[in-house]
Amino acid sequence: MSNTENKIQSDNENRKIERDSTYWRSFEELNNTPEFQKSLQTEFMSSPLREESKDEGSETDGVARRDFLKLMGASIALTSAAGCIRRPVQKIVPYNKQPEEVTVGVSNWYTSSYFDGQEGLGLLVKSREGRPVHISGNPKFPLNGNGASVKAQASLLGLYEPNRLQKPFRNLFNEKRTNKETVGVSWEELDTKVVESLQKGGVAILSGNISSPSTKAVIGDFKAGFNADHYVWEPLADDVVEAQASSYGEAVMPGFRYDKAQMIVSIDADFLGTWGPTMTNNKRFADGRRNIDKMSRLVSFDSTYSLTGANADIRFRIKPSQQFDVVMGLISEIVGKVSVSDAVKTAVAPYNGIADKLGISAEAFKKVAADLVKNQGESIVVAGGIQTKTKDSMALQVAVNYLNSILGNDGKTVVAGAGNKNLTASFAQIKNLIAKMNAGDVKTLIIYRSNPFYSLSADLGFAEALKKVPTVVYSNDKMDETAVNAHYVATDNHALETWGDSEFATGVYGIHQPLIRTMYDTRSFQLSLMTWAYMAKVGPKRIQEFETYYDYVRNLWKTEMAAKVAGGKDFESFWNGFLQEGFVGELATTGSARTFKGDVSSLKKSQSSDATFELALYPTVNIGDGTLANIGWLQELPDVVTKIVWDNYACVSIKTAEANKLREGDVIELTVGGNKLSLPTHIQPGLHDQVVAVAVGYGRTHAGDVAKGIGQNAFTLAQGGLYAGLPVEFKKTGQKIELVTTQGHDSMEGRQIVVTATNKDIQKSKDANIHRHHTWNIWSGHQYNGHKWGMAIDLNTCTGCSACMTACQSENNTAVVGKKYVMQGREMHWIRIDRYYTGDVENASAVFQPLMCQHCDNAPCETVCPVVATVHSSEGLNEQIYNRCVGTRYCSNNCPYKVRRFNWFNYAKLIEKPMHMALNPEVLVRARGVMEKCTFCVQRIKEGKNKAKIEERPLKDGDIKTACEAACPTQTIVFGDLNDENSRVAKVFKAEPRAYELLEEWYAKPSVRYQTKIKNNDQVTPKKGGGHA
Amino acid sequence: MLKRNPLVLGNKTLKDVSDDICAPIERIPSKEWMGLFLGAKGLFIFYILTIAMVISTGIGLLGVNHPVAWGTMIITFVFWVGIGHAGTLISAILFLFRQKWRTSVARSAEAMTVFAVATAGIFPLIHTGRPWLDFWLFPYPNQRGPLWVNFRSPLLWDVFAVSTYATVSSVFWIVGMIPDLATVRDRAKNAIRKKIYGALSFGWRGTAKQWSHFEMIYLVLAGLSTPLVLSVHTIVSFDFAVSQLPGWHTTIFPPYFVAGAIFSGFAMVITLMTLVRIGFPEFKNYITIDHMEVMNKIIMMTGLMVGYAYGAEFLIAWYSGNDYERYVFMNRAMGPYAWSYWIMVSCNVLVPQLFWFKKIRRSIPIMFVVSIFVNIGMWFERFVITVTSLHRDFLPSNWGQYAWSIYDTAILVGSFGMFFTIFLLYLRVLPAISIAEVKPVLNVGKEDEHHGKGH
Repeated sequence: MSNTENKIQSDNENRKIERDSTYWRSFEELNNTPEFQKSLQTEFMSSPLREESKDEGSETDGVARRDFLKLMGASIALTSAAGCIRRPVQKIVPYNKQPEEVTVGVSNWYTSSYFDGQEGLGLLVKSREGRPVHISGNPKFPLNGNGASVKAQASLLGLYEPNRLQKPFRNLFNEKRTNKETVGVSWEELDTKVVESLQKGGVAILSGNISSPSTKAVIGDFKAGFNADHYVWEPLADDVVEAQASSYGEAVMPGFRYDKAQMIVSIDADFLGTWGPTMTNNKRFADGRRNIDKMSRLVSFDSTYSLTGANADIRFRIKPSQQFDVVMGLISEIVGKVSVSDAVKTAVAPYNGIADKLGISAEAFKKVAADLVKNQGESIVVAGGIQTKTKDSMALQVAVNYLNSILGNDGKTVVAGAGNKNLTASFAQIKNLIAKMNAGDVKTLIIYRSNPFYSLSADLGFAEALKKVPTVVYSNDKMDETAVNAHYVATDNHALETWGDSEFATGVYGIHQPLIRTMYDTRSFQLSLMTWAYMAKVGPKRIQEFETYYDYVRNLWKTEMAAKVAGGKDFESFWNGFLQEGFVGELATTGSARTFKGDVSSLKKSQSSDATFELALYPTVNIGDGTLANIGWLQELPDVVTKIVWDNYACVSIKTAEANKLREGDVIELTVGGNKLSLPTHIQPGLHDQVVAVAVGYGRTHAGDVAKGIGQNAFTLAQGGLYAGLPVEFKKTGQKIELVTTQGHDSMEGRQIVVTATNKDIQKSKDANIHRHHTWNIWSGHQYNGHKWGMAIDLNTCTGCSACMTACQSENNTAVVGKKYVMQGREMHWIRIDRYYTGDVENASAVFQPLMCQHCDNAPCETVCPVVATVHSSEGLNEQIYNRCVGTRYCSNNCPYKVRRFNWFNYAKLIEKPMHMALNPEVLVRARGVMEKCTFCVQRIKEGKNKAKIEERPLKDGDIKTACEAACPTQTIVFGDLNDENSRVAKVFKAEPRAYELLEEWYAKPSVRYQTKIKNNDQVTPKKGGGHA
Repeated sequence: MLKRNPLVLGNKTLKDVSDDICAPIERIPSKEWMGLFLGAKGLFIFYILTIAMVISTGIGLLGVNHPVAWGTMIITFVFWVGIGHAGTLISAILFLFRQKWRTSVARSAEAMTVFAVATAGIFPLIHTGRPWLDFWLFPYPNQRGPLWVNFRSPLLWDVFAVSTYATVSSVFWIVGMIPDLATVRDRAKNAIRKKIYGALSFGWRGTAKQWSHFEMIYLVLAGLSTPLVLSVHTIVSFDFAVSQLPGWHTTIFPPYFVAGAIFSGFAMVITLMTLVRIGFPEFKNYITIDHMEVMNKIIMMTGLMVGYAYGAEFLIAWYSGNDYERYVFMNRAMGPYAWSYWIMVSCNVLVPQLFWFKKIRRSIPIMFVVSIFVNIGMWFERFVITVTSLHRDFLPSNWGQYAWSIYDTAILVGSFGMFFTIFLLYLRVLPAISIAEVKPVLNVGKEDEHHGKGH
């Protein structure tokens, strides 16, 4: 820690209201003892200066020169130590496998949680010497379990981003109310000014969804104190919750039990990628398909090529205006098979035989309906996400609710009681707010973690309305698009610096522990609200009473929440248990069917399907709404379907591209209403011919250095909260922008790479479609007497969500190289997800394959290295010795899987401070000119073995989890010891008929086996002549 | 009896031979030479700077990437090593076969070999990721265990093969020059010159005993060099053939590489000799059209051999039934790098067919152009082998393209700067034709002399 920071800290300490910096001190402070008060006078709590001064009865003198020097030396040492170890002092309890105190070189795992406005996750955060270095899912958490979304994992990097604000700011404006200058302010000044303004009344708060009971309580108290209004809006908000309210009288995002469903129909709901709690969905979806004899069927009506569509057994391409037709069509098909009212019968009659109009085979459509009927109470119909935000969005949702109700799914697979009631964001609210602002009713607007200047389309007039607000206070950690238009930026902590709690499903509460003391002079939003209430002396006692937000949270739990969930335990032990487990409460597994109160018979379609081309905006898995656009890991993570990095683009179908003479990368100018946007073309197989699909979240202008100039802001094409079905025109501009993909070719060229079989094939023979090769050897091979590590990957449960890629990047310190170098084929991912298209190109379906070093027994790389830098371990690992590598790259040439990555430049040197703090100290940061690759997380293997040794027990299966395995929401990746007969991997290797080696005939004998992907579509794969291609 | 064409034209006396051959060493360099030399030297300095950039910044400046991890440097390395082969073939194998016509071109061809191998030898050193650790490729005693090199790796065999080749061919070349250097020393009028050439000629006095030893050692060295002609490029081909990459893993590679090497080497000799004839007109009497024609015949023959290899590769790829290999070859001829494949085929197989015609075989301008084509074609042959095999191998997800950059061009062009700088210097400071070997063949093909003297 630098001296200036110390200065700031000591200044803060001397302030009367001592909040932010003491936030990290501890128990004496709670009691506010006189000793503590005294201790505040000195900078170092333990400084002997104080003692000596006391002895001599003087405050200032009494330090001899030599003592001074000694102390100075000691304090330098102490400050540097303090700089390294940023450990919160308030009691956070590590996960139960930890030593009593932080031991250098031993990592601690703390429970925490993550919320991105839509999806909530229970997390385990790994801390090394006080630095959070890795985020993964909390396996015990009832929702996501293992899985941690790529965004949640990458949010770690946000903590160390150089672009993060380090103190509060004030913006000065010119007459036109545009930003003239940004100046730093002190918290005192900001607080005084803000409180002055707040006291004038007319206070409004704008935020995204809030899932934390404590934050809600703080906001509630603040609202009570200042008579404020709270508006909740999310750029990716859809109408699911509102439709639930109108259909069932309950504003909730229901819990969908994809694991209990046999038949899932998704109408543009990308529940595996971007809609709802995706990790939970992935987990449940995979659970419903793990048993191949009774696996669920997923049918997707897809207007973009979503991850859900890519995982569908049967995928229909539609355009957004057809979504409502599809649902009504399905209802009309099942009329007669389930009981419906006559009014509904009449209402859906026009939709009879709609399949032809939709360009879908009528037979296939009827089969979908028949399957729904067959699986009544065991099916799910979902629609949602901004892809469904057409004019008919509400009607669509109501129709979907009705369909679920008549199929008897409600209460069984659609469980409102296990849903999330906190996703209340809606466009209606922000429209209300804008109206109020225009009317001059808002004197002070507090914006918390919401970025309307970027993600709200201009036609709603937020920018103009904001000019009528005399004081705008913004709480976030970036000088983003909205921040520059706010008078004050009350810089918020990073989530990993803040206490909190969560309720992601009714009755299941999660804890949000901070992992690090605030790195800079920042203050949590909640504490800001508390401070302002305290200074204005308004609001309930509890908002004024506590000096830290932690105290507030704890108090809330002690006085209110614990009563609900503690089960009569004494609070201290309850609290400790809560922190340790990361959550309390139970998830409702079933509910009772609710009465459908909506009116289907009056649902009318207002969206016309006449437009030549319809716009479909969609969020991507990695970038989402663009909040985390400045994180390199996310930008360099290939899009889950297109595999394109560092850009957004306009997707058009192959036919459309041909008809308009468009080639990949040709820039086209899209016109939607009066808005224009120029984007490069991406030709997407399987897209509807009348759809132009564009990802939102790109084109951030104020996100930071990484996101600058990456893509275009597609939110500008939205109209009044509508994202899909808008008529769009495009014309070629003649320019070209190279789109960069990490995958060279989309077809398997008939090779045995991802073996796919249908459910019918599997019924005949479990190892259907696998062509096995006879291989033989003239030498006996390696002997593995101890462990022999292996990995099994079930392609049937892999959804391609890419969580493993980010986990690997974080665990193994792999570099981000940027668009230019990915274009040259220099990306560094140790694990990648290959996506191949199969079948008819117009209507292509997709398969995924995670690929990492296969740790071959007959490794071709090992024999060709002239300096023995890659060697075979006694446990079957193929080890790369970075120090020995001179970089001939022969190993890469000889690797049939091409999984090796070379350090073409000195990437490590480019890591900007303090990003280096995110590096995992257990893994070497590779120098320039050496080859690197997946190690099977050898550091985790060592750690697991050491742990077993210390505990004097044999290693158990599952003790060691590689980073990719640990992050996988679907348990697709299983790692273990092949020499342990009972390990899960050994069973797959020995007994699983679906298991096969990639490029088996090449006889590298990989230690990784894949299992056949099954498409549950009731078809039979035609036999190919002459074995595999 | 079949009349032999004279090997030396212009009724030269023994003195004429010495005068003619020593002339370029003894006179002030011409403007043309100076121009060429400055140009080559400028390019050489540019090359050195480029290498410095690459070493200081990273090999990533070049187009090598994933999946094409070998590129310009390896391609150009094989190209230059191949060039070297003609020299040894001419000087050693033809010597053993008593081909008298070799005498006038042997010296320069061998100089070309040494310089080409020197040029080539730089590439394996600078193409690594950490060139400062290249010494780890040599099995030297060390304190790391000791940690030895991997004797199974073809790259290591390469290290031995190329360094052996460089050593033996340099020794052969230098030893062969000793009598001539003594001639230059004896003719020197300047004391410093006398000293330098005196030192270089190792005290040669031309006694019968010395001649006897000289001829014996020359014969022995020729014997030693001969297998190297075959082995070096065989081992270079192992870099590819021993790997398991379709398009590389081919048993035909060793003979195919050797034939290709001789092919490209002779083409380079033709290129250089036509230029030497222009630059030093007095050499026209020694390096005659007959010499050139003989070499053109060899070019045509070896061109047919590589052409046969190209065909055989396709046949075997089809016959093997191996899909990956079939794909690689189809992709060579029809994929995104088809242009390079067809440049290779045209330059190496089609263009040399012109040499079926005697007129063309004996036309200096045409043979010059053809030799340039062959050089281009042979560079592309290595490009095709290296890049097209790597860029689309087993898993289509890996497929990619070579990311050619300005540095690739700089390295390729710069290497010519190095080669020509050394070669031009050589022409000025060393006798470019073997005086001692030409003198005994002065009589060949002359009717007034009795036959059989040379046999």
